[in-house]
Amino acid sequence: MEDNKWLILSTLAFAAGVFHALIALRRGTWRESRWHLLPMALGFVLQTVFLYYRGQEVGQCPMKSLPDILVFIAWSVMMLYFVVGSGFRDSLLGVFTAPLLAGMQILALSLPGAFAPYLKKGPVIALVELHAAVALIAYAAFALACITGVMYLLQERLLKRHHIGGLFYQMPPITELAKSIRRLVFLGLLLLSAALLMSLALRQPVSNPKVIFAIAVWVLYLVIALLMWRRVLSARQTAWLAVVGFAIPFFSLWIVTKAPVP
Amino acid sequence: MSQHLVCLGLNYRTTPVEIRERLAFAEKDASVAVAEIRALPGFDETVVLSTCNRVELYASHSHADAHCGHEALREYLTRHFDLTPEQEETLGFYRLASTETARHLFRVVSGLDSMVLGETEIFGQVKEAYKKALDATTTGRVLNKLFQQAFTVGKKVRNDTAIQRGSTSVGSVAVDLAGKIFGKLSECRVMLVGAGEMSRTCAQSLLSRGAKSIIVSNRSHDKAVELAAEMKGIALRFDEWEGALHEVDIIISSTSAPHFVIKPDHITQVMRKRRGHPLFVIDIAVPRDVDPAVNEIEEVYLYDIDALQAIADESRRERERQLAICEQIIEEQLDRFGFPILARTQAGANPASALCPKADAR
Repeated sequence: MEDNKWLILSTLAFAAGVFHALIALRRGTWRESRWHLLPMALGFVLQTVFLYYRGQEVGQCPMKSLPDILVFIAWSVMMLYFVVGSGFRDSLLGVFTAPLLAGMQILALSLPGAFAPYLKKGPVIALVELHAAVALIAYAAFALACITGVMYLLQERLLKRHHIGGLFYQMPPITELAKSIRRLVFLGLLLLSAALLMSLALRQPVSNPKVIFAIAVWVLYLVIALLMWRRVLSARQTAWLAVVGFAIPFFSLWIVTKAPVP
Repeated sequence: MSQHLVCLGLNYRTTPVEIRERLAFAEKDASVAVAEIRALPGFDETVVLSTCNRVELYASHSHADAHCGHEALREYLTRHFDLTPEQEETLGFYRLASTETARHLFRVVSGLDSMVLGETEIFGQVKEAYKKALDATTTGRVLNKLFQQAFTVGKKVRNDTAIQRGSTSVGSVAVDLAGKIFGKLSECRVMLVGAGEMSRTCAQSLLSRGAKSIIVSNRSHDKAVELAAEMKGIALRFDEWEGALHEVDIIISSTSAPHFVIKPDHITQVMRKRRGHPLFVIDIAVPRDVDPAVNEIEEVYLYDIDALQAIADESRRERERQLAICEQIIEEQLDRFGFPILARTQAGANPASALCPKADAR
């Protein structure tokens, strides 16, 4: 439990990033700048330190309990955040990402019995660890698509209603946001497909609720990706799908971590 | 020997353009002018700032007082531009000294003294003027410190306030909105329906920011051809514009029709072909050309002249609200740096200098 301090510090770093951005936005002095990376990078380093100690404590990649999964997804979101592109990192994406990360980590910290030692320390199978990690990184891509979707819907609303003010000028162009949503959904789907293929190699029983939920999420995002690819829906409807769609994998995690593993 | 920091200038507020243009230094003349002023008796350093909105001479001199320096600079300008006494009468000079000079330069560099409050072009113009003087070795300890400080203050004002946020003209607002919809404008094609003056201004703003191509359609085809040639675009007959709608990303409409020219049916059909690519419609006509219901169509963003003007007005008001914060930053910076060089030299000013009576006698 001593190691929770790293997670608390990481959460404070993300919260500081949000606080600074909100103050600056309110004053009208928010600018695109690499300095916004500082609290995010600090939060990421602290997250990594926490995960390292947690991994040492449980003797494997810490992905078996809901609090661990939340932290791992938050860490994966940060990893993707760093590869998304400087144009987005330096703009408001960070501001929109930080509250989600802070929220996920606060939730992880406040769950009853958070970060207790694992009861059973079975043998560590590398492919199982990789499968779980890739699946969670896929969920992180869906989380980032969700955040980008929120930004799209907000920017679209400002443009439609002619509310051209402080926040509007800080947001990325709407077409860039639409492209990012598509890319992140495709990336998440690709990663989740890879994770599911790995689970086939493991010959896990189909009744395993984790696999069933993973397949359900995969089908959901496959449909979303097909609708995006065929451009059946408008960009706004696509953004809504990216936002609402993420609720399903998010809550499915809750269910599967409570289900007994056969 | 004592030194005085002075500024003699005129700008768009004090002098009309027909007089100002007579006093504008051509680019190559500015380098010569700084050397000429530097060569005047008692002058140690100088920078000449000449833009379409202002002509300002900054100098450090060792005359008995600031007034003598101002007179010498005024005489130089009269001589250099060969002004008649009548023309000289019409010049609305401001004469600044010491801290007032520094305050004024800080305000100029920050865009607070510009015709369009908060504009950024002046920063580059002052930098260029300073560089010319630096290259001509007409700056020294006083002006180097002053100008370096001014650039720091200018950056601080822009970074710490929202003085440059938004656009204050209809054309610039249209460009800003296009940028926020499409990102880079290099792939954007523009169509003008009607060839009014305002739509021409908007189209030129978009082209200057990299818009890919332009199509002009007007009831008078000759006028469309003329405007298309001017903008290196294509002219269409007025009965052909509907067929080309799906090829463009931005429509600027400004016909004199008494009814709606662009209706939801037109745009709905176009959007099917655009496969999710947004459309920006600018309606500059009065009465309006575009049915407001067009804005209800997904991924179509319609702005009429009132909406654009309201955004420009709000940006202007926002900049005015920021003015007090900017002035406060400038005062803080003036206090913080205090210009020790000037303080020391002014304390040791020598009113008995032989240079001043000569200037006064003229």
